[in-house]
Amino acid sequence: MIRFIVRRIVAAFFVMIAVTIITFLLLAATGNQAARLAGKNATQQQIHQIAAQYGLDKPIYVQYVKTMKNIFTGKAYSYTQNINVLQEVKHDYPATLSLAFGAGIIWLGLSVLFGTLAAVYAGRTTDRVLTILSMAGVSFPPFFLGAIFLYFLGYKLGWFPLGGYVGLSDPWQWFKHLVLPWITLSILFIGFYSRVLRSTILDNTNEDYVRTAHAKGLTDGQVLRRHTLRNSMIPIISLWGLDMGQLLGGAAILTDSVFNLQGVGQLAATAIANLDVITIMVIVILTAFAVVLLSAIVDILYAVLDPRIRLA
Amino acid sequence: MAAADTAGTSFSDAVSGSYDSDAQDLPPGVGPWKLAWRRLRRNKVALFFGFIFVLLVVVCLLAPVYAHDIAHTSPNAEAGLTATVKVGGKVKPVVNSIGIPIGPTWHAKYFFGADINGRDTAVRLLYGGRNSLEIGAVATIITMVLATFFGVLAGFYRGWWDAVITRFADVIWAYPAVLLGITLGTVFATGGIGPIHGTFLLAPAIVVGIVYIPYVLKPVRAQVLQLREREFIDAARQQGLSSTQIMFRELLPNISSTIVVFMPLILANAILLEAGLSYLGAGVQPPNPSWGTMIAEGLQPLPAAFSNVLVPGFMLVIAVMSVNIFGDGVRDALDPRAKVRIAR
Amino acid sequence: MKRFVRPLAALLLVAITAFAVAACGGSSSKSTSASGGSGGGSATTTSSGGSSSSGPTQTIHMVQGTFPQSLDPGKDYTTQGSEVNWIVYTGLVTYAHQSGKAGGTLIPGLATALPKISDGGKTYTATLRKGLVYSNGAPVKASDFVRSVERAVHIPWGGSGAFITPIIQGAAAYSTGKSKTISGIQANDKTGKIVIHLTKPYGPFDNVLAFPCLGLVPSSTPLAVQANNPPPGVGPYKVTSITPGQSYDVVKNPKWKPIPGIPSGHVNVDVKISANVSSNALSVLNNTADVFDWADTIPGSLLPQIKSKASDRFANVNLGGSTYYIFFNVTKPPFNNQLVREAVVTGLNQVAMNKLSSGTLVPACFFLPPGVPGHPTGPCPYGNPASGGNIAKAKQLIKQSGMAGTKVTVWSETRAPRQQWMTYYNSFLNQIGLKSSIKVIADANYFTTIGSSKSVNPQTGFADWNQDFPNPIDFYLLVDGKAIQPTDNENFGQTNDPKINAAIAKLGKVPTTQIKGNVVKQWQAIDEYTAKKAYLGVFGYQTFPFFMSDRMNFTAAIHQPIYGWDFTSFQLK
Repeated sequence: MIRFIVRRIVAAFFVMIAVTIITFLLLAATGNQAARLAGKNATQQQIHQIAAQYGLDKPIYVQYVKTMKNIFTGKAYSYTQNINVLQEVKHDYPATLSLAFGAGIIWLGLSVLFGTLAAVYAGRTTDRVLTILSMAGVSFPPFFLGAIFLYFLGYKLGWFPLGGYVGLSDPWQWFKHLVLPWITLSILFIGFYSRVLRSTILDNTNEDYVRTAHAKGLTDGQVLRRHTLRNSMIPIISLWGLDMGQLLGGAAILTDSVFNLQGVGQLAATAIANLDVITIMVIVILTAFAVVLLSAIVDILYAVLDPRIRLA
Repeated sequence: MAAADTAGTSFSDAVSGSYDSDAQDLPPGVGPWKLAWRRLRRNKVALFFGFIFVLLVVVCLLAPVYAHDIAHTSPNAEAGLTATVKVGGKVKPVVNSIGIPIGPTWHAKYFFGADINGRDTAVRLLYGGRNSLEIGAVATIITMVLATFFGVLAGFYRGWWDAVITRFADVIWAYPAVLLGITLGTVFATGGIGPIHGTFLLAPAIVVGIVYIPYVLKPVRAQVLQLREREFIDAARQQGLSSTQIMFRELLPNISSTIVVFMPLILANAILLEAGLSYLGAGVQPPNPSWGTMIAEGLQPLPAAFSNVLVPGFMLVIAVMSVNIFGDGVRDALDPRAKVRIAR
Repeated sequence: MKRFVRPLAALLLVAITAFAVAACGGSSSKSTSASGGSGGGSATTTSSGGSSSSGPTQTIHMVQGTFPQSLDPGKDYTTQGSEVNWIVYTGLVTYAHQSGKAGGTLIPGLATALPKISDGGKTYTATLRKGLVYSNGAPVKASDFVRSVERAVHIPWGGSGAFITPIIQGAAAYSTGKSKTISGIQANDKTGKIVIHLTKPYGPFDNVLAFPCLGLVPSSTPLAVQANNPPPGVGPYKVTSITPGQSYDVVKNPKWKPIPGIPSGHVNVDVKISANVSSNALSVLNNTADVFDWADTIPGSLLPQIKSKASDRFANVNLGGSTYYIFFNVTKPPFNNQLVREAVVTGLNQVAMNKLSSGTLVPACFFLPPGVPGHPTGPCPYGNPASGGNIAKAKQLIKQSGMAGTKVTVWSETRAPRQQWMTYYNSFLNQIGLKSSIKVIADANYFTTIGSSKSVNPQTGFADWNQDFPNPIDFYLLVDGKAIQPTDNENFGQTNDPKINAAIAKLGKVPTTQIKGNVVKQWQAIDEYTAKKAYLGVFGYQTFPFFMSDRMNFTAAIHQPIYGWDFTSFQLK
């Protein structure tokens, strides 16, 4: 067991390193950074000076090592604004956290409801309608759904603010600003999760333990609640963990942007538009870290729960 | 299909390892494909949406005909800013003095209104659809070909091949899809790598194609790992078939249903991701339209011309949704036990 | 030119931008997005400790879309930064605190008078005023000036490559490390005399001395950017409480001793950064913030609202120092043909282009904008630009030139409305008979790309210029044939006309303070010649939004042509 965990962690570590190297190389291909930093009417000499100052004249691997060192010692300053990127991420983090957890709770709750309903009424009209709805849900890009919400519920009806984020110090405003982003983000997941849950429940109804439970004289509802649903929740919860990992890493770029929440996702979009290498690196590391870490945890948990996996 | 906002971590997780599709429960004499087709034919909803998608493709392919013969303009038409159009007997400017474009006229000219540059929205919608669908299709081909190739390679040879290929897949997979997409897209759009430059229409297809590789590669590899232990592979080896022959003649046909099941899923994802990238400016580069760029451009004169957001947005949703529902039907038909789940 | 840093362009924010109208559409209670996003707690009164004036100093709130590049004058080269820094770091010379053309007038700052120019324009001599102190109370010494120049060269400051390193004697050697000091500057702490030797006569050197970057700072200031804790300066204001990327306070300097021509100011300004410019505009409209940063753009969809509800506290002002133009590469077809250039200038519809920027352009044909001496007064050579272009004539000119069907690539930035302008221009070229396609480059890379005159050698595309100072030479360097370089070129069209080159060489030496009468006439003639030759497709002068809350005295507020808002003129009604 310990060997498996160590192997998984080592592999995760190498994946992380590779992710940062690839990102760095990709960004190096976006043109002469020194010239970009030097601005519009810089002389050759000034560009050289800036290149020297930021270490951009050094071989690429030296630049990479220096950048990584700066990031992990908390000294990552964005080239364009000279702001400590870690501080910036910290500042934007409450919005990301609020968005991810709020949406996470909504989509988990609703997909359990819809998934169970679809499984119970499998093959009947309720199931068919829910299938079509979940297909529609996963087909709406968040920037479009967000725009529709903002236009009709925000602009036309005036029920919700038109984007932006308010800190928890004003709980009512915080809530009002986040309702639409939560719904927008949740709809993407509800469709998928409820489909997964539906088929897991259906698979489980044929398992022996369910038959045994029926044989013991439990009602359908009791079997569902006490046995089937409980077991079917395992894959859902692990999916949830992984998706939360991504969202906490700032992966909700589109939702974040369309609602102007100014969370880590929007920071990423801004940084990429400005080609701000340091900021992009920090966010990529953050998200990749969250994803790799959580998937390693999920793998290990599975291995603990199901010894067969270790052999694979 | 949350791929449009986060990556599909769970996508691969939901499919990997759990796929075992040989149609074991076939009645004798009927091939698996024929049987699947019979099942699909019974699924009227899936067929209906499949038809809708085909219709969309045809309509978008007819874009030049519509532009030339009905709207009498072109997707990057000249003089839209200064043009006027007759609506209900009144002559109105296509774009007014503070830059607000005209809304839907419901006539041949400017049927869905104009964009801020005074270009016919309906015409751009069709040309944009052509680009969006074309990029989606090419991206799907890239993903499927590369993922199948490397997946088979990894599963068949195992050892070093497997280690290297899976690690690479892990690296791509550790990136949330949109983040990797915009990073790659921006690199192409700004610096460009070799001949792949931003103005190259298919650059986003390459980006999207790469992003989704691991989501197909992992299940393909898992299935090949299972298959290679079967007797028929041993038999083939004893007959003296080379590894290449085994892979092409024996393995490939056996994983083809997996590939077919994944195709619509990846297509739907690819169209959505392209739209997301274009929305963020890292996808299709102007002046080429795509549904994503049109939504982004449509947001600019808001709230005056919301139709410019609604029209391309709903086209996008209808296209993706019809692929999804049709794909769901295909999956049900090929794999009634529903082990491969809808991708995100 | 100073960089106009804009909050991340277009796409991401426009969604909200657009909807913003809603908030002001109805009752004021709907202003949720404004009060939310930018933390626009309504204006409050705070007493500032240590203010020299009697009674508490009021604090007003300003909303800004982008944080300045730096609040250290030795680094900053943005409008956002210089707007603040010029009243915090007074140089030997500074500008008059006035609106309109008068604001371009140079006045003595920390020097007793404008520098004496001798040695054929190569030596500038100034004497420091007596009794000056920094905002930390330390006395000002003449030798401190040396440190400002050293910092500008060493850090380096964005404009040093153009205005300082090649101009001041010994600065180049200092920048490469060949010399530890700048040989061209002598400062005498006892007499306060400062002598600066130039490498060549350079007309606008007085303007260079007025840059906030050459405002005096103590000699002990490190030769590195002090982003969060900028050095003390001499000026009516000082900057405190910097939270990078988010906010800073511009408060009255308690140690300030008045200098003639430099007002002492009325209120403290608390500046908050919010990238959502439409929500910023709304908070000013709803009076939850007091001042909108002029360098930000008010979204077109909000303009009608603001114009009708707040016409007494909003103005779109042509500061007279910035020109939008299309460059024409004269080294290759079709734009090496004058008829083709004439066709574009004749046919381009500036009225249509203005629609794309919500009417914020002033139609124009001359390169020198009205705030710069030498702006021609005569009529435009190819028709009145406000009348909307003559397409038929343009088509005929293209035919006549024999260039019809020539392939053209139009280069553009990504951000709105520049991309939309170039999209229009692209289709316009097709319309008049050329075969044009457009190439859009990420904003961050655009000018580097089109500046690669050797490898990229762009044909035509977008360009703009915002003055560094009101001297025509600042503009004419962009068409100087001698300034063409293989990379980082700024003469994008590679204009190389002997007549223009000669004028630049001759008139460029004339000190700014002596540009009047005959010199102005000569510049006017040159600018008319440039327009006549159609070297540039000028398509308008930019106007900027000056917008305040109800409680501010809008009429007393100054729109300084170089720095925009003059903070010293801010006062409550």
